[in-house]
Parts: sequence; structure tokens; C-alpha cells
Amino acid sequence: MVGTPVLFIVIPLLAAFIIPLTGMVWKNSVRIIPGLVLSYMLALSVSLMWHITETGTVVEVIAGWKPPIGINLVFSPFSGFLATLMIFLGLLVWAYSYKFKRNVDSEPALKYFILLMLLVTGSVGIVLTGDIFNMFVFIEIVGISGYGLTSFYTRRDSAEAAFKYLFMGSIASTFLLLAIMIIYSQLGTLNIAEIADKMPMMSNKLKVISLIFFILAIGIEAEIFPLNGWAPDVYTQAPGPIGAAFAGIVVKSAIYASVRLVYTMFDLSGALDLFIVIGLITFIVAETTALRQERLKRMLAYSSIGQMGLVMVAFGIGTKEGIFAALFLIFNHAIIKSLLFFSGSYLVYNKKNKFIKHVNGMGKYLPITSILFTIGAFAIIGLPPFAGFWSKLAILTAAADSKMLMLIAIILTVSILEAVYYLRVINRIYFFPKKKSTEAKKPTLNALIVMISLGIIIMVIGFYPDLITGIIDRAATDLMDKTGYIKDILTINN
Amino acid sequence: MDIINIILVIFFAGALITAFAAKISSIVQDILFIGTILATSIIFFLNINTNTETIINLSHINLTLGLTPLSLYFAFIVFGLAVLAGFYAVGQMQGKKKKGYFYFNYLLSIAAMFGILVSKDLVSFFIFWEIMTWSSYLLVIYNGENVQKTGIKYFVLSAIGAYSMLMAIVIIHSLTGSFLISDLISGFNNMSANMQILIPVLLLTGFGVKAALMPLHIWAPDAYSNAPMSYTAIFSGALSKMGIYGMVIVFLTLITKLPQETLIRDIIAWLGAITAAISTLWAIKQDDAKRLLAYSSIGQLGYIVVGVAIGTPLAMLAGLFLAFMHGVFKSTLFMVVGAIEKQTGTSNLKEVTGLIRKMPWTFIAALISIIALAGIPPLGGFVGKWMLYESLITSNHYLLVTLVFFSSTAAFLYCYKFLFGFFLGQEEKEWSHVKEAPAIMVVPMLILSLISVVLGSFPQLILKPINSALSYYSLPDTYNNLWKESMIFNKWGDQVALTPIVYGVAIVFIVFAVFLFFKNRKTSRYVTTKDISTSGEVPKEHENLTFKENFFQPFLRAVEPAMKRQMDKYMLAFAKGLEDLFDFTRRIYNGNGQTYAIYAIIFVIILLLLSNNLFS
Amino acid sequence: MESLLMNILGAVTTFLLAFAVGMTYGGLRRKIVARVQNRYGPPFYQNFIDAFKLYSKSTAIHHGAMHFLGPAFIMVSSVVSLMFIPVLTNNQWFPNLNFQGDLIFLIYIMVFGPLGMALGAGQTGNPNSAIGVTRGLSQMVGFEIPWVMALIALMVQYKTTSITGLLDIQVQSGHWFMFENPFAFSAAILASLGMFRYSPFDIVGAPTELASGPMSENGGKFLFVMMSSGSVFAFVKLTLIVDLFMGGASNLIILVIKTFLLYMIPVTYGIVSPRYRTEQSITYFWGWPLFFGLIAIIYAVFF
Repeated sequence: MVGTPVLFIVIPLLAAFIIPLTGMVWKNSVRIIPGLVLSYMLALSVSLMWHITETGTVVEVIAGWKPPIGINLVFSPFSGFLATLMIFLGLLVWAYSYKFKRNVDSEPALKYFILLMLLVTGSVGIVLTGDIFNMFVFIEIVGISGYGLTSFYTRRDSAEAAFKYLFMGSIASTFLLLAIMIIYSQLGTLNIAEIADKMPMMSNKLKVISLIFFILAIGIEAEIFPLNGWAPDVYTQAPGPIGAAFAGIVVKSAIYASVRLVYTMFDLSGALDLFIVIGLITFIVAETTALRQERLKRMLAYSSIGQMGLVMVAFGIGTKEGIFAALFLIFNHAIIKSLLFFSGSYLVYNKKNKFIKHVNGMGKYLPITSILFTIGAFAIIGLPPFAGFWSKLAILTAAADSKMLMLIAIILTVSILEAVYYLRVINRIYFFPKKKSTEAKKPTLNALIVMISLGIIIMVIGFYPDLITGIIDRAATDLMDKTGYIKDILTINN
Repeated sequence: MDIINIILVIFFAGALITAFAAKISSIVQDILFIGTILATSIIFFLNINTNTETIINLSHINLTLGLTPLSLYFAFIVFGLAVLAGFYAVGQMQGKKKKGYFYFNYLLSIAAMFGILVSKDLVSFFIFWEIMTWSSYLLVIYNGENVQKTGIKYFVLSAIGAYSMLMAIVIIHSLTGSFLISDLISGFNNMSANMQILIPVLLLTGFGVKAALMPLHIWAPDAYSNAPMSYTAIFSGALSKMGIYGMVIVFLTLITKLPQETLIRDIIAWLGAITAAISTLWAIKQDDAKRLLAYSSIGQLGYIVVGVAIGTPLAMLAGLFLAFMHGVFKSTLFMVVGAIEKQTGTSNLKEVTGLIRKMPWTFIAALISIIALAGIPPLGGFVGKWMLYESLITSNHYLLVTLVFFSSTAAFLYCYKFLFGFFLGQEEKEWSHVKEAPAIMVVPMLILSLISVVLGSFPQLILKPINSALSYYSLPDTYNNLWKESMIFNKWGDQVALTPIVYGVAIVFIVFAVFLFFKNRKTSRYVTTKDISTSGEVPKEHENLTFKENFFQPFLRAVEPAMKRQMDKYMLAFAKGLEDLFDFTRRIYNGNGQTYAIYAIIFVIILLLLSNNLFS
Repeated sequence: MESLLMNILGAVTTFLLAFAVGMTYGGLRRKIVARVQNRYGPPFYQNFIDAFKLYSKSTAIHHGAMHFLGPAFIMVSSVVSLMFIPVLTNNQWFPNLNFQGDLIFLIYIMVFGPLGMALGAGQTGNPNSAIGVTRGLSQMVGFEIPWVMALIALMVQYKTTSITGLLDIQVQSGHWFMFENPFAFSAAILASLGMFRYSPFDIVGAPTELASGPMSENGGKFLFVMMSSGSVFAFVKLTLIVDLFMGGASNLIILVIKTFLLYMIPVTYGIVSPRYRTEQSITYFWGWPLFFGLIAIIYAVFF
């Protein structure tokens, strides 16, 4: 074992404090140290994942205060899986953007990697923490670094997008605090496990209100309809890799939070149906909206929102198969959408507006990037033998096992739309003539390596999904086991 | 490792290597391409075995691969055409761009078809089905023309089909707890009545798309004519048969157990017949040979669907026989168009004319295939048609047989248009430079037309595998009963004996051909097509004597009412309407922060209002 | 060996018979038409003279291989379909290939000829030929439908698709099918008007307009083969209808009477009717004839 879960929080925060200082001495440390930190975190999380297969969930108590009074971090198969995935993606984003804006000595470029690191840290914190107020703090960390990254380009549009995000984010914070207050006033505790334990004591009315406030607050971060208005702007205005970070890291942590609420904390029966309804509406609205988008990143953003809706639907099915499918989809979406954001931003690199029509004819000039984008698109449509197929099959199987035939029909119908807009882009890449005014920008070596390794992961998972299904299966079992979670935390003795 | 896995691995590896071999040399690429196809087909034909079964466990799903007699029969079609069209493709792709792209997708789609045939469970069936779909999609848009319209149309229709199939698959899994086709068949009786209807309907929708059954056919004319001809030969010849393959299984195993059996059979058969009739009329109207053949393919597939849907032993024989024949002659014809397009640069029947003396071998292949297509004795096409008619008459489908007969009679019109347009008529100066296509393209065509001829006199060659395929799905043995050597019987005992017919036709033909040739050949001299009887006037060199415009105008006038409405247009209008609707949903995101905040408030209010209903 | 020789001899005899009868009918038609039009007209054996003249002419020019093969194709169609039709009710005289095929086969082999000739006509490059061919094929689609419906009605009613089978039923029961299923007979007769291509359905080879249409580039032996094929084919059609609807014929004299009476229907209908345009003739066949065919099938199924 390399360390304990608390290091996930401590190390990056410490690094974030130190980096500006070392940056004064050695400029490159600004980009190198975050990478080192993220690599360490990845090593840590992988070794912890290894560790918990033998010993079971690791619960870390901070500062010696035992739960329910103290703050605790829980590294279970479920949260560990998500944390590892996020850190891995964070590392990829770091590697991809390592040479990013290298020659610009501007303020944002200096802060970029620190903010990225904090974004990952915050998200990992949300996933690992066992305390809702602590969760609130991490959500704020994520939000603040997100605002900073969105306004990276210091343009009018970026500032506007960041402001919208901030605006919605503050609404989220308000309602989150309100919800926490209600719970604290009723149950006198902030520990998730204890809340879950005591939940039957709370009056139904307050339970519902606090849940609704929670859903509103977390829904804004999770980009559910109609709370996701900020998201397309942010994805479009933030740098390409940050789009991947949002889709792969931030949203996943918000989904985690909402799932934790519904599966562990609250015992309301209708919450899962609400998940299905909200998820489905999000899915439908996002996919239909994506169909007529003119900007590539906006299209990818809506696609991402749609996929998240599908994840919520899968969680809403409520069976173990459903959770398995949702986690599988989260994993696939993380790698595939990152690849799409990574390669997509090179396809429209030299254009300010990043319209879809700017990818015309790029297949000839950027062959590898184009093929990788195509693989990503095929995978996200769910074509075999790419990774996306297996998660789609898992969701549909789960829905069928729960006898939700209409749900299957709707998901499949909307998936056709998804295929349409992705294929339109691919057709443009390969079969439309390139305009003279657009110039192709060759990807840098580090970006290329990152993209190719993502492509390889997609192919490998596509041909051999068993690599990942075992871990996901354990994670799904873990989430279903509510009493086990409570017991793990409340009976801790160290 | 099992033989099926080896073949699949060779295919996938071969496809990848071939795709990137362009870096080494173009010829190496060709050799690798042909090598992959040959290696796989040789391994396949040397190791045919319907007993082995391989199981691959992926993601808790047992992917079971193995051959059945039925899939063996279809595998013959796939591999036979793959080899011949493969050689042809090497010739046709000479000097073309994106060769690696073409070869890659070609090999992949062949591999996928093979995979479909060896799949004994529904998941691997679906996986290969989708690989087939996207690889063929990539070839449909190969030319880069109309990609957004044609390509997307093909993909959307394929997706509709594939997804309804997927829906059926997951429902089947939830009901039987297994993905195996054999478990579906055995567990079908225990399902509820609704599911017993829903599952076959969903599956038939999926297969109907690939079999270009109305109203799911609208992709086919564009897709067939847009793909490179060497692939369309496979596309129409083998790939569309995957839909037929699925239909055969559904009809043989599921539909027979239903109480509404006759109704479903009749509906599908009528759809097939209407498809055949309408698409034949449209084929007559086409001026582009590719589109003509594309519509013709849809029509021919309609006959096959009729046979399969009616499902008496004779009708099944007819459907499967026609499937084979259609693969043979239609791919030859597509190859002919490809050869002409390569030599002349166009496939428009109005432009090209009088190639018979420039491309004689191509003409022979085209002539034989057209005769087979028209179903005229003594070629193979007739055998299938005969069985189809007899099966329809003996199973009391009188109006259906009339409709089928109408479309196959009307098919003569486009058959003639095709032959006349390319090969006969005035020999214009514009095409005097045209040469015969290279041997690597001509020989596959001739081999295929030879098959048409042979099957006309020896239909037992493929009736035998069909018979064993049908017996596998517990249909009565048809040998001695419906056919014996080259004789075929119907249910009432009436027969057609092909060997005496072939001899008779051949003898009479030779006698009169010799009678006409004898002496005349020496005494008469060849004159150009300008030197014709025009009531004493001598046509000048520039004078246009080519009859091309409004070729079948009188006939089209007569059938005009039937062609006023076109499914394609309705569907496109519907799609357009949907897109406009979605454009409206796009406006929800108006980019205004205040609006988003209001959405958030509304969201909370709605949830609070509904909370009693939601969390009761 | 003996029987094979006998078979060939029988086939040749049948062919000669059909040739002679068809030629004579053609000559008689010319005479009748002339008399109705108040002309004197050629003698009834004029066709034989024409044929002999054409046969003895040598051919000077040709347009290529298909030009040669076209007439051979059409001859195959006529002769092979002749081989499959029982000429007399007791089949000993002209057995040929009667038991080897059935009605569906016959329908197909009968369209073989026009198509083959169309190919030959196509290679000549004469636009008139091609125009004639397109008209002919279009018209064929018109009349084949009621024709097939009539045949289907018979097949359904008597549960056999074999020509000899249908003939035997009539001989044994003594009832002619033209009375058993009159609707089928009407449909078949109306369809046969189109098959003979006499007026009003003679737009295919309209001499004044198209210079004989498909045949316009053919002379000498080509035209001789086409002409004899046409005569044989006329005999085939007439005999087929006699076999199917009028109980066949037990000897040649009855056969000649029956076929001649049948032959008079298209001839007289033609004399009094002006020429139809192609689409008019198609819609004509899809009017009453089709309706009769439909009724015939319904009658056959329910009665």
C-alpha cells in the first residue's frame, strides 16, 4: 500500500500551494509538478483498488475524530472505481495539454495546470468523502477551478460562459446548503452513513423537500435537463481538453453524489422513477438539440449531456444490472468522450468559431486524428466491436429484465439521432473538400500518444470487455449494499 | 483454436494489414487482399463441419459460434461471391484512390457476413450484423458523392432495423435468460401471446431492412448505386441475403408456432410482392444502369421474400434457390456495369451505346445473366421462378401469384433496356475507342454466368444443400418428393424436367443458328449501324439515330397512377419535419443566464408540486 | 435408338404440320381482310410463295452476331413450345415432350421468342426496330396478365398445372372448359387478341409508321425464319387454346376446324377495329380482360 486515502486530498492541495512558489524559480515546474502529483494519485488509487479486493472497503478517519463526528473518507469498490477513473482521466488531460500554450507567458496559462489538478482533487474528494458538508466544500472547489478554467482564453465569450456557470453554480450552492441545513436540523449529523441510518426518523415532507433541493443543486453540476443551460457554453468556450475533463470528471462526481443520495441516504421509493424520468428527458432533449448544432464542441457537449441522462436512466432502473450498466457507461463515456474532445479540438484547431464545417476534408491532412475521432464516434454510437456497444447492451438488458419495454424503445430511437449527427461529422471529415482558408494543425507528440492510447483502450475493451467488467461488477455490488456501507463506517475502530 | 476463429482472425488481421500495406506497394496490397480472401475461403471449404461449436465468454455472455446446414448454404454464396468479386475488385480498383479503405471495409464486411452465419447466439449475431452495417456504410459513401443524403439514409434505416433487432434480443434474454438461438426456439412456446407477436415482428423489421422490404427499402436504390460496383456485387448479391437468412430462421422456427401464422405469412408475402411490383416499375423508369439494377435487386429480393414468407416446402426451396441465383446473376450484372463504367467513364444508359462489338465478353456475361434474371428457361433463374409460381398456386395464393407474375413480366422491359442501352443500338463514334475490360474483371463475370447456365440444367447441385438446410429446421425431406435429379415437382405431382428441356432448346437453337450462319456468314458482309433501311434516305454521319429518350414512355404512361406516390419522398419529408422540430428544442438553450435560472426555479416548483405523486 | 429416331421424326412432322397450317391460316387471313376491304387480295397460298422466295434469297449484309441469333431465338421459342403442346388428344401421334413441362413453363418459353428477336432487332441499330420492340414488350406486359389469370383459374379449378392433365380431364368428363369456366375463356380469348398482334394491337410492327418495327432490318433467310416462326407460333397459340378450353381434338380435321374458328376471332375483331396506341392497348387489357380473369379466379375458387 502506497498510502491512505487522505493523501488524495492532502498532496494536491499542498502542491497547489507550493507550485506558484516553485514556478518563480523554475518555470516548467508549473506544468511538471501537477503531472507528478496526478501520477502519484493514480498509483495510489490503483494500489488501493488492489488492496481493497483483499481487505474490503478502506475507511480513513481524519484527525482522529471517529465517525459520525469526524470527517471520513471512504475508498470502497464503488467510490474507488470512480476515483481511479477520474484521476486517470485527469492525468490524460494533463499529458494531452502538456505542451498547451507553451509559449504564452500569460496568467491563465500559468494557472491552467494548478486549476486542472484542483478540479481533479475536488472531484475525487466528492467521491471519497463520507460527509455531506465536506462534499459541499469539494463541490465548491470543483466549481471554482471550473470557473477559472472556463475563462481561460480571457475573451468576452469565455467570460460570459464562466459567469453563467458561476451564476448557476451559486444557485446550486445555495440550495445545497439549504438541503444540508434541513438534514442537520432534523437529524443532527452530517455523516452520510449516519444520516442513512437515521433517515426513517425524519418526517416525510422534509425528506422530500431536502431531496428536491439536493437534486436541484447536484443536478446543476450533473447537467440534467433543464438545469444544464450553462454546460454547452462552458464546453464551447473552455479549452478542448477541459471539455473532456468536465465530461469525464466533474459530471461523474456529480452523478456519484446524486446516486449516493438516492441509493444510500434517502429511502424514498419514487426517487428512482424520478431518475428515469429526468434522465430520459435529459437524454431526449440533449440528443435532439445536438442534431442541429453548428459548432463541434457544442455538439459534443450536448452528446455528453445526453449520455449522462442515459447514465441516470440506468441508475434509475435500480437493479444490480442497471447499476452495472450505468457504471460501464460512465467508464466508456469517460474514455470515449475524452477521445472525441481531444481529437475534435485538433480537427477544428485553427478556427476561432470551431464550426462543424471546419472539419471538412481533414481526413487527408490529419489522418490519425481523424481515424481516432471516427473510432470515438463509432464507439459512442454503440457500434460493435467498439467499447460503447457493451455498455449499451448492458443498459438495454437491464431495462428488459425490469420489463421496461417503452424505455428500450425510446433509448434506441434516440440513439439513431446520435448516430446521425456523429456520422454527419465523419462524412465531412472524409468526404468534403477542405476549404483553403482552414489550416490543419498537426497534433503534438504528447497529445497524439494520449489519443492513440485512448483509441487502443476503446478497441481493447471492445474486443475484451472482461478487463473492466469485473471491477465494475464489484462496484455495482458495493453500491447496492447500503447496510454494508453504514456498518463499515459506523463501526470503525481505528 | 477452432477453425471458425482462425478464419475470423485471418479476416480481421488481413483487413488491417491490407489497409496499411499501401505504404509498401500497391501490388503487395492487391496480393494481400486476394490472399486474405483466398486463404479464408480455402480454409473454409476444406474444413466444412457443422458439428463444431466454439464458445467465447465475454462480459458474462457466451458467444457461441458454429455452422448449421442453413448457414453453410449461405456461406457458399458469401464466399463464392467474395472470391470472384474480390478478383474483380482488384481489377476495378486499379489506379483508384483509397484502395486501402476499400479493401479494409470489403474484407471486414465479408468477415462480418461469415460471422453472422456462424453465430449461434443473438449477441454475436448482432455484433457481426452491426460490423457488417458500418463497413458497408463506409463503402456506400466511398465515392464521396451524396454522402450526407445517401449514406445517412442507409445508416438510419439500418439502425432502425438493427435496433429493433436489438430490442428483440434483450427482450428474448429477459424472457428466456439466454442469448442462444436454440433457447429462443425451445422457449418460444412458453412466452406470452403479446411477446410471441412482438419478437418476430421486431426481428422481421430488422431483417426486412437488409432485404429491402417495403417500406424499409428506401435506402437501397441510392446505396446500391452509390457504392463501387465491385462491392455492390457483394452488397446486392450476398449482404442482402443476410436479411433473407434471418427471415428464413424466423419463419421456420418462430412463425410456425403462432396461432396467427397465416396472417403474418400473408402480410409479409404481400409486402414482398408489392415491393417487387413497384420497384420493377421504378427500375423501368431509370436511366442510370446502377439505379436500374438497384431497383431490380429490390424487386428480386421481393420474390425471395414471397417464397420464404409463404413457407411451404416448395416455396422455401424456391426462395432459397432464387436467393442463390440472385446472388449469381445480379452480382454479374453489377460487375458488368462496373466494367463498362471503368472503360467508358459513365454508367448512364442514355450515353453509352453499341458496345457489343467492343466488349463482347462482357456482353456475353450480361446476356446470360439477363436471361437468368428474366427467368427464361433454360437458365437457372427459371427454375426458381417456376418453383415460386407453383408453390403459390398450389398453396392458394392466386392474386399473389398474379402480382408476382406481373412484376416478372414487367421485368423484361428493364432487362431489354439494360442490354439495348449498353450493348445494342447505334455504334456511336464517341465510344469507338472503348476496349474490353481487363481479364481479371471479365473472367469472374464469365464464371458467374457459367454458374447460371449450369444451374439451369442441374438445379440439384444446390437443391441438395437447401434440402439438408430445411431438414435441419424439421421441414419434410423434399428429395423425391418435390425434386429428383433435374426434375422438379409441385404438390399436385405436375413436373418440369429440365434436362430434356435444355437439350431441346439447345438442339433447336443450334439447328437454326447454323441454318442462319451457314453460307450467310461467308456471303454477307458486316455493315455499320448507320447503314440501315431508312426509306431510301441515307443517314448522314452526324444524324442521331440512337433511340434512348423516353425509352418505355408508353408503358410508363399506362402505369403512371401506380408511380405517383413514392415512399422515399414521404420518408424524407418526415425526417425533415423531425429535424425542424428538433431545431425548435434547440431554442430551449437560448444562451441567457436569467432564463436558465428561471428554468431552475421552475424545475424546483414542478418537483415540489408533484412531490406527493412522486414520493407517495 | 429406334425410339429416339421416332421421336425426332415425330418432332419434325409436328413442325411441318404447324408450319403448313400456320402459313395457310396466314394466307386465308390476308384474303379475308382483302375481301372485307373490297379488294381482290392474294391467293390463300401466297404465304408459301413468299416464304419460298425469301428462303431462296441470299443475304448480302448483316449487323453482327446478335443479328444472326435473333431469329434463331424466336424459332427456339416457337418450336420448343410446339413440342410441349399435345396436338391431338390421343398422344401417340405427336408425343414430343408433352409430359416434361407444364403451363408455367409454357408461358415462359412463349415470351422467350419476342425477347430474343428484340435482341437481334436491337443490334441492327435501326431506331424503328427498337421503338417497335419497346412497344411490343409493353403490350406484352398488358396481355400477359389476363392470360395468366385465365390459366391460373383453370389450374386452380382442376388442381393441375399440366397441359396434358387439363386435356385429359376434359376428354374424360366430356365437358369443355370454355363452358365450365366461361370467364377464364373470355379472358384468354381477349388476351389472345394481343398475342396475335393483329389490328387493333398492331402498333408493334406498324408498317406505315415504323417500317415493320422489329423486323425492319431483316430480309432473305432472316425474314424467312421469322415468318415461319410466326406461322408455327400461331398454330401453337391456337392449339393451346383448343387444348385448354375446347377439349382438344381427336383428329386433324377437328383440330383444323376448331383452330380455324378460333383464328377467326382475332381476325374479324381486327378488321373492324382501328389501331390502338400502346398505352391504350395496355389499359384495354387491364380493363375487361383483367376483370374477367379476376372473376374467373373467384369462380374457380368458390364454385
